[in-house]
Amino acid sequence: MNVKNLIKKYDGKAVVDSVSFEIPKGKVISLIGPNGAGKSTVMGMISRLIAKDEGLIEFEDKDLSKWKSKELAKRLAILTQHNNVQMKLTVRELVSFGRFPYSGSRLTQEDYDIIDKAISYMELEAFEDRFIDELSGGQRQRAYIAMVIAQDTEYVLLDEPTNNLDIYHATNMMKTVRKLCDELGKTVILVLHEINYAAFYSDYICAFLDGKIARFGTVEEVITKETLSQIYKVDFEIMNIGGKPLTIYY
Amino acid sequence: MKNEAYRANVRKLVILSILMVLAVVLYMVIDVNFANPKFFKFSMKIRTPKLLAMLVAAFAIGAASIVFQSIINNTIVTPCLLGMNSLYTLLHTAVYFFFGASSFLAVNANAAFIVDLMLMIVVATFIYGYLFKKTNYNVLYVLLIGTVLSSFFGSVQSTMIRVMDPNEYDALLLTLVAGFDNINGEIIGCCVLLLALLVFILRKDLALLDVITLGKDQAINLGVDYDRCIRRLLIGVTACIAVATAMVGPISFLGLIIANLGRQLMKTYRHSHLILGSSLIGMMTLVAGQCLVEHVFAYAIPVSVFITLGGGIYFLYLLLKKR
Repeated sequence: MNVKNLIKKYDGKAVVDSVSFEIPKGKVISLIGPNGAGKSTVMGMISRLIAKDEGLIEFEDKDLSKWKSKELAKRLAILTQHNNVQMKLTVRELVSFGRFPYSGSRLTQEDYDIIDKAISYMELEAFEDRFIDELSGGQRQRAYIAMVIAQDTEYVLLDEPTNNLDIYHATNMMKTVRKLCDELGKTVILVLHEINYAAFYSDYICAFLDGKIARFGTVEEVITKETLSQIYKVDFEIMNIGGKPLTIYY
Repeated sequence: MKNEAYRANVRKLVILSILMVLAVVLYMVIDVNFANPKFFKFSMKIRTPKLLAMLVAAFAIGAASIVFQSIINNTIVTPCLLGMNSLYTLLHTAVYFFFGASSFLAVNANAAFIVDLMLMIVVATFIYGYLFKKTNYNVLYVLLIGTVLSSFFGSVQSTMIRVMDPNEYDALLLTLVAGFDNINGEIIGCCVLLLALLVFILRKDLALLDVITLGKDQAINLGVDYDRCIRRLLIGVTACIAVATAMVGPISFLGLIIANLGRQLMKTYRHSHLILGSSLIGMMTLVAGQCLVEHVFAYAIPVSVFITLGGGIYFLYLLLKKR
């Protein structure tokens, strides 16, 4: 995926200002930055949820807006934070929706097999018949991830997947992200607020500041005292734990 | 590979259909003189259009409410609460106001209905489509603006009535206060045809509705052309409300009651089941209610009073239950 000169303006003010980057395949890429830096808007635009004002997003060498929505749904999955379902929907039914781009509402045996696999991959067998609105936040998040797995796309886009989760569930969420990449070979792009999760679990980090990319590179390149202090405007200490740079800020 | 819940829902639908048919039979045979063919014919002539109107209205209201609720992702909002039937009444009055009660439009019920319907579809899709987009489907804003619109349409309509020629007003009133005891029978055929056509044209969008209830982001993620689908469905909702209001007049709470009872009973996301269930509940309640009104209360209390009374209490219950 190749992003060139992306611009988004709200009321004449550019929230995303000529952003260009290329997303390496088969890696975990985290977008970080302070509130209002434009990372979620960039995510929205590369996932076609938000219309871009200017610029070009090339997906598999083809303009994203030229893709048929249904075809794109087989290549690229998005999970945002706005997931309040008012319907009575069980976990299994939710996961089954992941097969919608392929089979519509008439599922084939192959679809059922994929759904079963997705459910067991996320260890949801115990609550597959429970209603989504009766689950805890962590379980619900896992159910949505299972749906994304059933959607079987090369690219997975996650908008702040650890939001509202406690340390246990958030950490497990990040381990799952790693597994999606390492075991299932997906390219995962996520927006994260927690820098240490980004540093520990991603391959590349893209740091935003004021609608522009402040730094894009490998974890070691971006997670430095200078870069982070410049972006977040607080003091940072970098420690090396398990071969990864982790940060302390105060 | 259909699961247990699916089969249970099909069973529930069958039971509902049986109950509905029972209500229909009851309504059609009570106090009918079968011995004398003249009396029999007369009873049928009076009852059949009423029955048909109730069945059609129940379906239109049930379907419109379920679809509308799913579009806006909230189960306590119905098209009526947002003033859609006030809008219809206003447009109907406006046609009389500008063309006069002796015009072709006012004399021919079918022509009047078609004109109302077209106007309604254009105006309502514009107003509500814009409203939804502008407020980004925020229920609170939509509800607030809808309530304001509802009284606004009402005020404009009563202003028109006040400056109208009394004779024209008299002619208008007859068609305006359509109720279950004063059914606009002439347009039944037209309405049935229209509803059948709507279901046929929108069948694909109705199937997409299951996905749309996952929310805008998820629907787009799964490859649904969200804006187009919503636009088409909204037109369908508008047409349904126009049909129901033209035929039996405005009944504000019926949609709320049957849509929520349907959802409570079926506990599913499948809209084919939800729509059928709600419609069947609606048909049953209306027909059985009308039965009671005619034979127990001897027309003293119209069925719409019960609906408004029951609906009001049910609405409060729903609001309080949700906190």
